[in-house]
Amino acid sequence: MSTADRFHFHTLDNGLRIVTERMPGIRSAAAGFLARTGSRDEVPELAGVSHFLEHMCFKGTAKRTWEQINVDFDRIAADYNAFTSEERTFYYGWVRHEDVGKQIELLSDMMRSRLPSAEFDMEKKVVLDEIARSKDQLMHVAYDLHHEKVFADHALSWPILGHDRTVGALTRDQMHSYFEARYAPNNLVLIVAGNVDPAQIVEHAAEYCGKWPTGPIGPTRTAPATRAGTAVQQIERFNQQLIVLSFAAPSAADPMHETANAATQILGGANSRFFWNIVQTGLSPDASCYRLPYSDCGRLLLWGQTDPDKCEELAKAMQTEAGRMCTSKVDEHEVQRVKNKRRTSLAVEAEAPYHRLLQIMDDVDLRGEPRTIEQRLAAVDAVTVDGIAEYFERYSIDRDGFFLSVGPLDWPPVN
Amino acid sequence: MDRTAHLNLDCGLELGVVPLPEAQVVAVELRVLAGAADEPAEKLGLARLIQETINKGTEQREGRALLDAFDELGASVGSWAGREATGFSFVCLPEFVERAVELHAEFLRRPTFPEDAVQTALALAEQEMAALEDDPPSLADKLISRQGFGPVLGRHPLGERETLARIGRDDLVEHWRRTFATGRMQVTAAGPVEPDAVAAMIERHLAGFGDGERTGRERFEFSFAPARSHHSKELEQEQIAICFPSAAVTDADFPVERVLLGVLSGGMSARLFTEVREKQGLAYDVHAMNDNPRGWGMIFVSASCKPDRAETTFRTLLREIDRLSEDLTEDELDRARSRIIAREETLADLTRSRRSALSYDLFHRGHPLSLEERIEQIRGVTADDLSRYLAGHPRDRLSILTLGPHELTDV
Repeated sequence: MSTADRFHFHTLDNGLRIVTERMPGIRSAAAGFLARTGSRDEVPELAGVSHFLEHMCFKGTAKRTWEQINVDFDRIAADYNAFTSEERTFYYGWVRHEDVGKQIELLSDMMRSRLPSAEFDMEKKVVLDEIARSKDQLMHVAYDLHHEKVFADHALSWPILGHDRTVGALTRDQMHSYFEARYAPNNLVLIVAGNVDPAQIVEHAAEYCGKWPTGPIGPTRTAPATRAGTAVQQIERFNQQLIVLSFAAPSAADPMHETANAATQILGGANSRFFWNIVQTGLSPDASCYRLPYSDCGRLLLWGQTDPDKCEELAKAMQTEAGRMCTSKVDEHEVQRVKNKRRTSLAVEAEAPYHRLLQIMDDVDLRGEPRTIEQRLAAVDAVTVDGIAEYFERYSIDRDGFFLSVGPLDWPPVN
Repeated sequence: MDRTAHLNLDCGLELGVVPLPEAQVVAVELRVLAGAADEPAEKLGLARLIQETINKGTEQREGRALLDAFDELGASVGSWAGREATGFSFVCLPEFVERAVELHAEFLRRPTFPEDAVQTALALAEQEMAALEDDPPSLADKLISRQGFGPVLGRHPLGERETLARIGRDDLVEHWRRTFATGRMQVTAAGPVEPDAVAAMIERHLAGFGDGERTGRERFEFSFAPARSHHSKELEQEQIAICFPSAAVTDADFPVERVLLGVLSGGMSARLFTEVREKQGLAYDVHAMNDNPRGWGMIFVSASCKPDRAETTFRTLLREIDRLSEDLTEDELDRARSRIIAREETLADLTRSRRSALSYDLFHRGHPLSLEERIEQIRGVTADDLSRYLAGHPRDRLSILTLGPHELTDV
């Protein structure tokens, strides 16, 4: 099946984009609305409004109370939810293919939420509880500290959930203004994948969303400055110390995206250098690498947690491995192994409408159009040893990074 | 048409295969029927240590070379050690299945358990225990499981610090010799494969591993005792967990219980979410689930909330457990059934899910259930069934646990 046969694109007069993928051999279907807004599109005093708004979209529309929304999801969807990130808010449901029209109708209705005042304070309590929950999780605390320090003075610096004080002070009217500015149809994308008829999806979208008025396009994002430094957050009640080395990395749309992914896997994925040279020396039960690819910037994070008496040794081991990546080329076999595994994982994802929904969302948001599994595979196959060496020349991970330490120790000393 | 096959091989191994001709990948699990409950009480943690070290060296190659060999196939491999079993699974493209089975057979049959790998696994197990204590929901799960299921079925796979201190390489070797054999194995596969071909492949690589005698399929003894405990810990949230006995997977009422759990906690319109989160804003996270050792069952109800809301949250959880036998509507019942069936039907698109469902059935029931049978069971559940189930499973004996800064006063 060619790209043209697999994907179908349509834009309604009001600017709502519809992207559909037909998945042969699949019986189910998944549908989701991408709102191209997230925590980095907030102003500091409204930190957390995108995420709180995501909760409120489940709380009532002109047609449905929150109870009816919940009941209608449970009648049709096998799986449904929503999430908010720094750059996006996404609402989705995974259903039997015959129910996809009902799912689109329900999600469409939620995109025109009334943000009912009567529910606002009650849901605020839930969000504040979610913030409390995040403070009991070491990795969550470290993630928030990372953004606060590395992206200081930039919109990426505050937590996605917001702060107790900003969420606590947020009013329904402030949220409504944000909603009006960010949930216009020309800032939304309807994505559908699975056993579906694209023409029918467009008909559904036109029926449920066609009358929404076009609105403003949101504020332009500015890329953050690159920072280096050290930050420590001592929290004595935790048992383990979490160490993060953070380095500048390419954005999600950068041509080096797949090369960066491969390098991340070689350094800190399964059967990686971190696994054999750090985890399997008994130094850390969890040492790995993650990429944080945003639309205009990115970070490569080297994570490791350990007992407090081993954190100095762990930090050195992580730095040693990072240094090796920069000073000598990776092995051809290491690259090939990453490609082999990616081939299998793409085949696995190809049978899951929900996974395809997320991949299409990434592609549409960052590249303007989706890629087939074959196109994704070709991008992975194009990664080379020399390409990875070039990557580390451009994005060094042996200097100019940010060092973070969270846990019971006040270590290392910060000048 | 469902062509799921269930074969008992001459080598003593039980095999289940779901042929899915259209699938692009093959998913396989090799399950050894030995877990934490099979360990000597003074050496808890053995099963997991074996799981962690069994692929770190074989008579033919070192651990790194073994993982490299899997990577050459592009196979996604995983393993786990649980209460009554230890599992080794992989997903790969169809052309690599036999090689992946061969590599699994190599480390399952001829591991060397290198001393340095054993010492590393012991050191990491200690650290993982410390990490577990930094994860309040997981710590609460561990504590309520121990309290509800007791000293054998309630064991945590990580073991205990004092039992890990008694374990050495020889213990791993001895326990592996005692528990790893085809008579104690169930293998399940799903994907574009044929049952006879998979059976022949398994025989080629695993025949002769042990004497073929069938063992490891009996349920462990267990008796429930109501209990209440508080574990004081400085946290932002209070973790609340309640459990009580329920149906075993093989009970005729098990599908009824699945629907009942749907009414209680199956989605956003279910009772717990509605009463705890939506109406009172008490907690972000509230849920109920069942946990089934072979031949037994337990329902767990959990929530985490700010400490000053713990008393109200707890009372609301109790009220909802109690209220299950009151004012059940046809609409609730219909919704719970619909959601379970929708989930069964959509997950059926995934090769891994088909394999996983088959593994579950072989482990608990000793035979597979087709997707259609599974759905029919749920569709057939009536309001009368729920009433009968609730009358036969009184919820008056509870095990209650809290973890956090606030000890409940109103229990």
